[in-house]
Amino acid sequence: MTEIYRLLNRHSSLIYPRVNVVSDRGYFAVAVAIYGLASIYAFFLWRRGFLREERVSYVLLACALGFHTVAMLKRGFTLSRCPVNNLYEAIAFVLWTITAIYLVLGLWRRFRFLGAFASPVLFGVGVFALFPELDQRGADADLARGWSSVHAALILLAYGAFGLASVAGAMYLTQERELKLRKVRAVLNLLPPIGRLELTVGRLLMIGFALLTVGLSLGAYNLHAEGRPYSVWDAKILWSVLVWVIYLGLLVMHLRFAHRGRRIALGAVASFAFVLLTFWGTNLLSAIHGPP
Amino acid sequence: MPLLVAGLNHRTAPIEMRERFAFAEAALPEALTRLRSGGLAEEAVIVSTCNRVEIYAWSAAEAASSLDGLRQFLADHGGGPSWVSQEVYGWSEPQSVEHLFRVVSGLDSMVLGETEVLGQVKKAYDIALRHRHTGWRLNKVFQRAFNVAKQIRTETFIQRGSVSVGSVAVDLAEKIFDALGGCSVLVLGAGDTSEKAARAFLSRGAREVVVANRTLARAELLASELGGRAVPFDRWSEVAEAVDILLSSTAASEYLVNTAGLESIMKRRQYRPLLMVDIAVPRNIDPAVSYLENVYLYNVDDLQAIADDCMQRRREELHHCETIIRDRAAALLADPRRHPWVSQARQQPLDSRV
Repeated sequence: MTEIYRLLNRHSSLIYPRVNVVSDRGYFAVAVAIYGLASIYAFFLWRRGFLREERVSYVLLACALGFHTVAMLKRGFTLSRCPVNNLYEAIAFVLWTITAIYLVLGLWRRFRFLGAFASPVLFGVGVFALFPELDQRGADADLARGWSSVHAALILLAYGAFGLASVAGAMYLTQERELKLRKVRAVLNLLPPIGRLELTVGRLLMIGFALLTVGLSLGAYNLHAEGRPYSVWDAKILWSVLVWVIYLGLLVMHLRFAHRGRRIALGAVASFAFVLLTFWGTNLLSAIHGPP
Repeated sequence: MPLLVAGLNHRTAPIEMRERFAFAEAALPEALTRLRSGGLAEEAVIVSTCNRVEIYAWSAAEAASSLDGLRQFLADHGGGPSWVSQEVYGWSEPQSVEHLFRVVSGLDSMVLGETEVLGQVKKAYDIALRHRHTGWRLNKVFQRAFNVAKQIRTETFIQRGSVSVGSVAVDLAEKIFDALGGCSVLVLGAGDTSEKAARAFLSRGAREVVVANRTLARAELLASELGGRAVPFDRWSEVAEAVDILLSSTAASEYLVNTAGLESIMKRRQYRPLLMVDIAVPRNIDPAVSYLENVYLYNVDDLQAIADDCMQRRREELHHCETIIRDRAAALLADPRRHPWVSQARQQPLDSRV
């Protein structure tokens, strides 16, 4: 454990509290460890075919959300504002949103298995967020007042909704495969019907898209109002517009052109995978979002 | 003074014998009164279903003689010769308690794990309770039995999945559609098989049934029986655009539904999911349609295979269920409140205990 602390703290350029048992990163590390436990449990659930009623994942993720919330509150009180200023904070915020929405949906028994699908994503991305390089002062740290924080928070909430839509999409693909292959597990498992999963994916995408639209509009307004120099060719601006267009396309195809079932589920999974894989890179390349 | 059970069931007696021994529901209070007034039992419950007739009783007399009395009571009720009473099984504790637990859990049923029997036993117990033929001893045993049935239902797979072709089809529909209450069913063919399958969907809440048959009169007859509507057979593809479930069991020797035809229907229905159940032999639906997006096709062999798998899983759960039953029965029998001196104290009038 000492070695892990040493590894996580070896970068003297970190401006935020180092990882120890009481720092916000410490609480976040505990939350990620619990996400890891939930992932291991999820593997066994998957092997058993989601046949038994699921409570363990729900309880584990509820515990993790407790530590995760403390981590975010501590960071927020330290900075005296919404903790959405660098990649670490942004990722922590997205993961928190995914877990929080899951815990609400998980109140319905059949949606509890969402946790088994979400845990590996939460763990993998959580470990990535703990890399010290991601927890550096953001370029707009001193400018992030008022609407800037709201802009970042809304966009990260949108990514949280997209993340959970992709998890529901993965659940859809699992259940659909069992039905197409005529396996007895399709009847015996406790996953929700694919019709309900498709509805969930569609609604989460709509919620995420609305949040993303408002968040991006606020960002554009802020840049204009603050009179900061920026280029429309900034990597993050281009990437955000691309993500917005991708999700708009997905929704238009779903609502207007009967882009249903497997296609919308695959679209939700692929789109969020794209966001996950490119989010950090474009942030580092951006002059207005990346580190100074 | 243990719990006693005497009776016969589908394993020990043919239907000709079971029907002679059966009690009508209205006759149960009177039969229970006779049992108790005749000194055969202090407390009693009679369970009479199509698969079993059993008397659960608590008597102050010695177990063997009480069981003989209960057997004779049943034989007299059945109007059979005296040797018939020897065909009636009778058990004392702990077998009687374990047997009751098995019965309410569906382990002793003709269809392993069926749940209907629990409702039947609850009803029989309720009749005895309302007419004051049970006391604290039978109340405790029956309440514990219902609790064991609940534990077995939640902790094992003994009641999970369906074991009949029609029910499997409905289970599959419930895994595809958000709510079966909003689903409409198109039935191709107006034979017995179609009717049974359609009824299975209606019993689980399907909204509407449309029947298409080459002979319109037969379609209308079946539709009126099912509370649905009939359409001419050549219009079935128009109706298929609006329905969620298509059941096919016509006598056609060629495929009625092929990939090209269904693809155009799916396009018109904007690729909403379609469950297709082909219970005809020879098959009415080209198996290649299952490659189409949002089409879920099952033929009679697929459904039977799932039903068989479910039954196999139920059998595999038997050992687990038996362990639960043995443990819960042992715990009940070890309860100190059931010891004779406690029961004697309970029977004494309140003023004599001071």
